[in-house]
Amino acid sequence: MENYIVAMLVFAGLYGLMALGLNVVWGMAGMINLGLVGFFAFGAYVSALLTKVLGLPIWFGVVAGAAGAAAAGMVVAMVTAKLRGDYLAIVTLGFSEVIRITASNEIWLTNGTDGISGIPGPLRGQVTPEAFNLIFLALVAVVVAIVVFLLQRVRHAPYGRVLRAIRDDDQVAAVAGKTVIRFKVEAFALGCAVIGLSGALYGHYTSYIAPDGFVPLITIYIVLALTAGGTGNNYGAVVGSVLVVFFMESTRFLTEVVPGLQAVQVAALREMLIGGALIVIMRLRPGGLLPERLPRIDLPESNLPQEKKAT
Amino acid sequence: MGTAAAVTALAAPSIVRAQGEPIRLGALNPLTGAGGSYGPTMRKAIEGVVDRVNAAGGINGRKVELAGEDTQTNPDAAVRAARKLIDVDKVSAIMGTWASACTTAVAPLCWESKVFLTTVSGSDTITKLPHQGYLVRTQPNTHLQIGRLGEFLLELGSKKVFVLAAQTPFALPSQERLGEVLKAGGSELIGGVIYDKDKTTFRSEIDQALKANPDMIYLNGYTPDVTIVMRELYKAGYEGGKIGQAYAVNKKLLESLPADVTEGCYTVAPSPSVNSAAYKRLAEFLGKPDLDPYSCQCNDQASLVCLAIAKAGDASGTAIKDAVRKISQGPGEKVDDVVDGLKLLAAGKDINYEGASGACDFDDIGDILTTNFRYEQVQKGAFKTLKVG
Repeated sequence: MENYIVAMLVFAGLYGLMALGLNVVWGMAGMINLGLVGFFAFGAYVSALLTKVLGLPIWFGVVAGAAGAAAAGMVVAMVTAKLRGDYLAIVTLGFSEVIRITASNEIWLTNGTDGISGIPGPLRGQVTPEAFNLIFLALVAVVVAIVVFLLQRVRHAPYGRVLRAIRDDDQVAAVAGKTVIRFKVEAFALGCAVIGLSGALYGHYTSYIAPDGFVPLITIYIVLALTAGGTGNNYGAVVGSVLVVFFMESTRFLTEVVPGLQAVQVAALREMLIGGALIVIMRLRPGGLLPERLPRIDLPESNLPQEKKAT
Repeated sequence: MGTAAAVTALAAPSIVRAQGEPIRLGALNPLTGAGGSYGPTMRKAIEGVVDRVNAAGGINGRKVELAGEDTQTNPDAAVRAARKLIDVDKVSAIMGTWASACTTAVAPLCWESKVFLTTVSGSDTITKLPHQGYLVRTQPNTHLQIGRLGEFLLELGSKKVFVLAAQTPFALPSQERLGEVLKAGGSELIGGVIYDKDKTTFRSEIDQALKANPDMIYLNGYTPDVTIVMRELYKAGYEGGKIGQAYAVNKKLLESLPADVTEGCYTVAPSPSVNSAAYKRLAEFLGKPDLDPYSCQCNDQASLVCLAIAKAGDASGTAIKDAVRKISQGPGEKVDDVVDGLKLLAAGKDINYEGASGACDFDDIGDILTTNFRYEQVQKGAFKTLKVG
């Protein structure tokens, strides 16, 4: 049981990283990115190929995976610079499918739909599976902590304020003299770097990646995690991810005690419970469990700007 | 079934009654997602075996407990489900993974935790993983399947064969293997095109095929794309032979195309042992006249695991790994039923299990050595069985 809980916490941490990345792009800068699984896959493939095929050290692969995803994010952001809202959502969704289909077809590089197996993990094989799990949990926990710390700094910095301004009304931000496009591209790249970092770690944890694993379903999990946790709030992103994994896993045990159901009905009931639980959260806490709270700056009474309420 | 099990257990003498720690096994099937049409009956087949074993007093007096999870036909979900089976339910074997990507994702967890994995996935690469023996599969791999298809084409007298294949892990290996078999038999593979299966027209691929002037085209795709390809081949006036996989050229395809378009198309598929007693028993239990190969294989996988545990006298994954070939093949007495097998093993006899899916004999890396194939031809919009063997 302990090993299982540890493994699920690793998954929650990796999902949490993705949600943190999404939070930069969507929560802070207001760009909808439904292609995050594509950047996740990009990071995973870059790191897996560098470490497995070229034999480079894992830390290097992970850093390169994050950097690669950031570069891909930058390209996508520049291509889509003029797009907003639903249009950006569709293009990013399309991007993630392009990545998945490229990974399925460029067999010489990615081994096609067979995927890449035997990706090295830190100390994998030298310690027991239980110890490996614990080591990886510690690693993921440290990475999540560092990323949350850094992103909190970004959020509280003037830079984060500009992103929020762009999110709420980019024309006003432009009128105030901010180069909106530059900020958008940078935010997109930063978010994608975190998502790519998560992907790279994911590959080293499970030791196997394949195009089939990078379906839009993962994107939906992460969007749910961030929405349930609180869009715009870094802690909310992590809490929401833990919550989504908790729902997905606890329903296994809940449905076990329901008598008289066939296996397929249990599976369906599980999905209904997961969906139902998320609806309940959003109904009771529309801003998520930890709604975004804007940093308060004490200013003289007469200069207090009209704060727009976050939704 | 539950009541029957309880009554039998109570009626049995106390020595036979299940005692000691229960043996814990795991079923991991695609109950939802793309495999959702197969998973539920695969699970039922496994549950059926476990119920019958328990009704007969368990394995060496120990009850068998089955824990089941859903792969959702997604590797990420499959990994989490497998972790739960291994770490929480403490199973010693996981049975019935379906999609190749799910199997490949789950396999490392199994061999690292010394849990035995049985699968119905067909991708060639699976048995080449460094699984140290902790994996067997009951589904014939591409090598075996295409070998038989090639031999069938040679029997039909096809001289110039062209391949139109959807992009899958087995598309390219299939084409290479078919080329070898045809060459050995004096025929020729004159070309092949691998296409993206989500396209809505395949005119350029078909032009390429017809330019090569083949007398047989092998349609190695799935139902939606093969439907389009067949219609376009007909429109283009192609009059040579066609052959496809039975999972693609199926009833649904025949219903959606006019009889003229599908006329004469051959199909090949690994077939369960439809005439065996094991198959008939399973068909009766599942309440279906025709069984898909995966349910038959799951029935056999559960039986093999139970028999291997009985043979080894130990329920660990390592014991199952070491014992499975001692009861699946060799000179022992042939049995097609898990309960009969348990009785013979209890009497100290050697057995050789042959189940609903076939002979269930494995080579060193966990591939099956042989299986039955069913050859059919479409005649006037319906399938006619040419032979099973």
